[in-house]
Parts: sequence; C-alpha cells; structure tokens
Amino acid sequence: MTDLIKLRGVQKYYGDYHALRDINLTIRAGEFFSLLGPSGCGKTTLLRVIAGFEGVSNGSVMISDKDMKDVPPNQRPTNMVFQSYAIFPHLTVAENVAFGLRKSKMSKAEKADAVAEALKMVGLDGYGKRAAHALSGGQRQRVALARALILKPKVLLLDEPLSALDKKMREHMQVELIRLQRAVGITFILVTHDQEEALVMSDRIAVMFAGEIGQMDDPETLYRRPKSRRVAEFIGKMNFLPATVTSVGESIGLDIAGFGQTDVPQDQAPEGAKPGEAAIGIRPETLAILFEGETASRHEAPATVDEVVYYGDMTYYDVRVKDVPEPLTIAMKNLIGRPVLEVGAQTRIAWDERAIVVF
Amino acid sequence: MKLRIYAIAYLIFLYAPIVLLPLFAFNDATIIAFPLTGFTTHWFTELTQNAALHAAVKNSLIIALCTAIFATILGLCAARAGAMSAFPGKKGIVGFVMLPLVLPEIIIAVSLLVILRQVLGLSLGNWTIILAHVLICTPFSIAILNGAFGALDPAMEEAALDLGETRWSAFRLVTLPLVMPGIISSMLIAFTISLDEFIIAFFLTGSNPTMPVYIWGLLRFPSSLPVIMALGTILVALSIVLLTIAEIFRRRGVRRSGGTDTGGFL
Ligand SMILES: Nc1ncnc2c1ncn2[C@@H]1O[C@H](COP(=O)(O)OP(=O)(O)OP(=O)(O)O)[C@@H](O)[C@H]1O
Ligand SMILES: [Mg+2]
Repeated sequence: MTDLIKLRGVQKYYGDYHALRDINLTIRAGEFFSLLGPSGCGKTTLLRVIAGFEGVSNGSVMISDKDMKDVPPNQRPTNMVFQSYAIFPHLTVAENVAFGLRKSKMSKAEKADAVAEALKMVGLDGYGKRAAHALSGGQRQRVALARALILKPKVLLLDEPLSALDKKMREHMQVELIRLQRAVGITFILVTHDQEEALVMSDRIAVMFAGEIGQMDDPETLYRRPKSRRVAEFIGKMNFLPATVTSVGESIGLDIAGFGQTDVPQDQAPEGAKPGEAAIGIRPETLAILFEGETASRHEAPATVDEVVYYGDMTYYDVRVKDVPEPLTIAMKNLIGRPVLEVGAQTRIAWDERAIVVF
Repeated sequence: MKLRIYAIAYLIFLYAPIVLLPLFAFNDATIIAFPLTGFTTHWFTELTQNAALHAAVKNSLIIALCTAIFATILGLCAARAGAMSAFPGKKGIVGFVMLPLVLPEIIIAVSLLVILRQVLGLSLGNWTIILAHVLICTPFSIAILNGAFGALDPAMEEAALDLGETRWSAFRLVTLPLVMPGIISSMLIAFTISLDEFIIAFFLTGSNPTMPVYIWGLLRFPSSLPVIMALGTILVALSIVLLTIAEIFRRRGVRRSGGTDTGGFL
C-alpha cells in the first residue's frame, strides 16, 4: 500500500488554546483509518485540517505527495460526511447527490446515471425524487455518503457519521460502511468516540488525547498491547495491579501484588523498562473464575466474590484478591452447566502471564 | 376569569380606533359622528381622483421600496457576520446596531435634520428620508435575518465548499435559498414600517411630502376627513396583509432549515 496522507508536526492553535500538539501520522491508500478519542480531544479539528476547513498553525499536510498548504477545500481530493450530514433541505435527494457534479463536463444523462448508481450503492434506489428534508436519520446519512462518493474522492472523511443513529441502525450501518469501503476502495478516515465502533471497522486506529496521538496501531495490537495506561483505560476494560519489576533482560521479572512472581517476554513491557515500581494491566476476559474441580493451566489465586453483574451471555464478577488494592473484574461466558456465583462466595481465579501488559 | 376580562378590555382599547376607520370610510356623511347615515363608496372614488395624493403615495412607495432593499442588505451583512464569525467586541457592536430599535424617532429625526442641514449643508429630499428609514428599519431586518441565519447549520455552506463550490457560489446555491424566506420577511417588514412612518418623514421631507405627511396636511380640512378614513382603511388592510405574508415567510424559513422557532415580532 502506498502512503496517501502524511501529516508532519501539525499544530493547531485556536487563540491561546492548543487544539493539536505535534500530530504525525501517515495514512495509506485504501485504508480504513479511525481517529478515536474522548470528547474535545481534537478529532474533528484534525479532520477539518485534512479537509482544508482549518489551516494549520505549524507543520504540513501532504496528500499524494502534494503540499496542501494553499489548497482550499474545494480543490482537495477529499470529501466529507458531516456530523449533522448537512443535507441541503431545499433540494431533492437526487439534486443533493448531483450537487458536486455541477461543474463537471458530464452530459445530463451521464449525471443522472451517476446519481442513480450512487444511490444504488448506498441502498437508496429510487429515492431520487424525494424531498431531502423529509428523510429519516439513516436515510440522510446515506444521502450524505452518496453525495460525497459520487465525486470519487481519494479520501472520504467521516465525522461521527453514526452517532445520531439508534443502536440497531448504528450496528447495521457499521457493517454497511465496511462493505462500501471495500467495494469502492477509497481511503476512509472515520472520527468516532466509540471504541467498539473503531475496533469493529478500522484497519488502523489512532487514539487521541488532548490534541496528541497516544497510540496508533491495528485494532488487535491496540487492544492486546496498549502502550499506556490511558489507552488501555479508553479501549475496553482493564484491571490494574501494582507490581515491581525485579529484573530486565531477555524477559522481564515481575513481582505482582496478590499474584506473586512471574516472567513475561520483553514485548509485553515498554521499551527500556527499568527495575522498580510499575503497574500491570490484565483484561477481564483473560482472567477466569475456577469452578469445582477445575484447575488453572498457569497460575491461580484465592479470591472472594464482591459483586455479580449478569448480562445473559456473560457474567461480570468483581472479586477481591488478598493484597490487591482494587477489586478485579472478570468476564465469564455463561456456558452450559456453569453456575452463577453469589456475592461473598469463596473461589479461586486463574491468570496467565501471557495476557499481562506492563506499564 | 378576571384575566380574560382584562385581556378583552385591552384588545378593545387597542383595536377600537382601527375598527372605526372602515366604519366611517363607508359612511355616507362628511361629519365623523354616530349614528351612521348610510353606505357609500364615494370617499374611495374621491381617493382615485386626487393627483396630489397620488404623488405622495408614489413617493412613499419609492421610499419604502428603497428602504426595504437597503435595510435588508445591511441586515444580511450584519446577520451573516454575526452567525459565521466571532470577532472581538461582537456583543457590543451588535448591541450598538440594535440601538435605533429603542431610540425615540423624534430624536433620530431632529439629530439627522441638524446634521444634514446645519452641519453638512445638504438639501432635503426623498433620499434623506430613505437614509433615516434605513436607520430605523435595519435593526428589524437584523433581528429577522439573525433568526434565519441562526437556524442554519453552519456545515451547510461548508458541505457546498467541500463539493467543489467557491465561497460565493456556495453562498448563492445553499445559504441564500435557505435564508430567502427571512429576506422576504425582512423586506416586507421594512417596507411596512417605512410606508406609514410619520415623524421622521415630517422632519426630513423636502418639497414632495410622503403619504403620511400628506394625510396630516389634509387634517386641516374637516371635509376631507372621510377621505382620510378611506385611505386609512386601505393602509390598515395593506399593512395586515404584508405583515401576515412576512410572518408566513419567516416561519417557513425557520421550519425549512430545520430549527425551532425562537424569534420574530408577531
Ligand atoms: N473554532 C474554534 N474556536 C475555538 N476553539 C475551538 C474551535 N473548534 C474547536 N475548538 C476547541 O478545540 C478542542 C477540540 O475540538 P474538536 O471539535 O476537535 O473536538 P472533538 O474531539 O471532535 O470532540 P467531540 O467528540 O466532542 O466532537 C475543543 O476543546 C474545542 O472547544
Ligand atoms: Mg467532533
């Protein structure tokens, strides 16, 4: 894959407010890339910088090796799906979709074909004559997609396109967007504050905090090997335990509060880890409650059930382990014949050093 | 219950004089007094034959039209600046622009007269009245157009830009049609205000009086009172029609751009 978008040292100030602090990222052609982060971290700002609605205070934006410094939005090979969709209410669906073709040299018939094709692509066959202001949220979103895609941009920018939809529609559109992106092969940059959405949809994700990129990786790496505590906390749920790094070398020696001593390979610890105080993280689904007659394949520790939350397919337990300051959350599948424990029950938990991340 | 009585009393107090206008305009007597003596359209016929009145009406229409256009253009600029960009001192400037709304007209009239005649040494004419009317109508235009722009999603114009339009064509193709109801409503209101404005016109009028000034002149002749009633009837009807159309357009604009109704004078 070739590099399509390169941002180097991008900074953005709104007055005194430092909205983007030194953003460096490279997005490849054909990639589904997500910008994920809490509200106000600068995701929209970064997207608008790429689209050209905001200038940069410092640094450069390159698209296809061309510096975008003095290129206005209407001349960039990008199109945007706005968070509000910005469907023109005084036009019909077809007129909305055809809007970007106004200056093209296509004949009327060619334009009509292109509009029909674009509408078909987003599943709005035959909606062309409808008035745009009478559409539902999901339909508006599709019109916005068709309107942007008809121009065959190199990059499609999507600012929280699914946040206005209800849960069911959102999940449906997630799948549809992925399908669409594969079909058209256009680079998608998606802004979202929903970590699940980002994990489901993206080839790569940049996690942003307060104008900075905290980590940029594929979904699996991001989930399994978060590089910092705040990334780990933002994506999924993670238990944190105090620990001491006892030795560094081929592997990292650890003494974990409540769990005891173990070794982990170097790639589960930050580069240049030094002996001393540290913390480890472990995901709820990598821990397990040991029921009658079960034994741990690696390590186990005695525990007391503190809280039980039953989800139908899963049960989430909060358990207390001696010497661990906070209760640990454990996610258990409700398999056939497996009981749901009660609060106060004495049990044992299994843990595996391969699931540990050192911070 | 008591509240309703007050409300009815208030409405009678407010509208009784206006109801009396058509009553006497169609009354077959030169003296304005009860009992009514019979039905006639004579006073309306007389209206159509009065050349001086026609000149005054024409004057007023020209002034009202120019006022409507200029006030709306100024209102458009101000409302757009207010909606799109935040600049230092924005609140203060907006407040200043809206000031003529509460300034007594007589003060505007006298101060303009002094500036135009004494300070600048200019002669009076229709354009001086237009100037003053634009001054008092612009705040109304701004208020109406602020509502229209406020209900507009700022992403609309950006979406048009993003789809390849220039700043100007994006404004023309997207923003303008969406605020058009506001523009029409603003023009109608400015037109109506200017058409029956008296104090300023009285002070600043040149050799050609406007319609309200001409009517005031007629009052010296008791025999022309029924004619004035007839004219007044037409004016009231016209004002009601124009203001209703203005309000319809304003509401349609708010609805079309998908916002909730917050402003408006009616
Ligand atoms: N035009 C502006 N002027 C001043 N500050 C701004 C402007 N636009 C954004 N900001 C500020 O920059 C910060 C980042 O804003 P941005 O809209 O990029 O956040 P976001 O990550 O998209 O958040 P959300 O998830 O809420 O949409 C915010 O603190 C915001 O207040
Ligand atoms: Mg945002």
